[in-house]
Amino acid sequence: MSNTTTVSTESIWKGGRSPFNVSYGKLMMWIFLLSDAFTFSSLLVGYGAIRFSYAGSSTPWPDPATVFNHFPFAHGLHLPLLFVSLMTFILIFSSVTMVLAVEAGHRKSNAEVSKYMFLTILGGAAFLGCQAWEWSQFIHEGGRLDTNMFGFTQAGLDKANSLSFGSHYEWLPTDRAPGPVPFASLFFIVTGFHGFHVLSGVVINIIIWLNVIGGTYVKRGHYEMVEKVGLYWHFVDLVWVFVFTFYYLI
Amino acid sequence: MSNTHHSHTEGEYIPETYIPHAESHGTKSLWRTFWLLLAITIVDFIIYFVADPSLFRNIVFIVFGIVKAFFIVGIFMHLNYEAKFMRWMIILPAIVFLSYLVWLLMIEGNYVSLVKYF
Repeated sequence: MSNTTTVSTESIWKGGRSPFNVSYGKLMMWIFLLSDAFTFSSLLVGYGAIRFSYAGSSTPWPDPATVFNHFPFAHGLHLPLLFVSLMTFILIFSSVTMVLAVEAGHRKSNAEVSKYMFLTILGGAAFLGCQAWEWSQFIHEGGRLDTNMFGFTQAGLDKANSLSFGSHYEWLPTDRAPGPVPFASLFFIVTGFHGFHVLSGVVINIIIWLNVIGGTYVKRGHYEMVEKVGLYWHFVDLVWVFVFTFYYLI
Repeated sequence: MSNTHHSHTEGEYIPETYIPHAESHGTKSLWRTFWLLLAITIVDFIIYFVADPSLFRNIVFIVFGIVKAFFIVGIFMHLNYEAKFMRWMIILPAIVFLSYLVWLLMIEGNYVSLVKYF
């Protein structure tokens, strides 16, 4: 049997085989993900443009460190970035279990595919739980689609500047002031759009996992479906890398 | 090599049902990628606290983000192992269109700020 990848490129467009050497379904998944990447980058670029436009404003863009500084069971401690880093870790780990499921599929090991897909679903559910907690903190402190209470008065700004990692703090009503509304609305839109992708990824993973358990892919002779949902799941991780960078780091 | 137990043999090409033979590359590169992504995230975390906010720090974060994206797409999404034309069909539109969007962001963002506050 000839190996298709080693054939010279002159003959690759002559027909009789796919120049891309992928199945129809996988090609369509890639094209969907490419279009989805454009959607997410439009959202992030829109976010960037609006954030840029507040440079030099009297109501400056809030510093993420003073907004996303909570950690479960550590109430009142200033712990910026720690919780989202944990969420990043969960998502990267669920990505590695997903790719291990794909690899097990290549070896046609149904039991291993099932095990790793289950771990991936757990990771996705854990991430969604974390995001729900993050949203509830944000809403609790006065973040709404049309309201942002993460601005500072002079007293609040002095207090924020004196905080260090792990120090105790408490915002008083006299510390907080209305800030730029797009900060709050874009937080809900961007992380919500990403979270919705995670949710649909978990649902799709569950469906495919049930197929794995039912032996569908043993009968079919290949685990192409696991690869396709794997692509989608890694894409969700990929988007989170940039949400993490632009929303929390910068 | 006999593939007769598959409904889609590799000899004949039927676009709707063609599925290339998939082979495992082992788990070593997958775990290595995982540790690398984790390490970069930890370095992100450290830089966030040791360096004051600056343009340079932002550029470092963005470059690290692109490096992470490269490994997720290349290793986890298997694009490094796909056929040459497949790789370019996905990567080229992304690079061209995204750099255009970022270029617009740079120009328009400056202009909005100029109109609003100066």
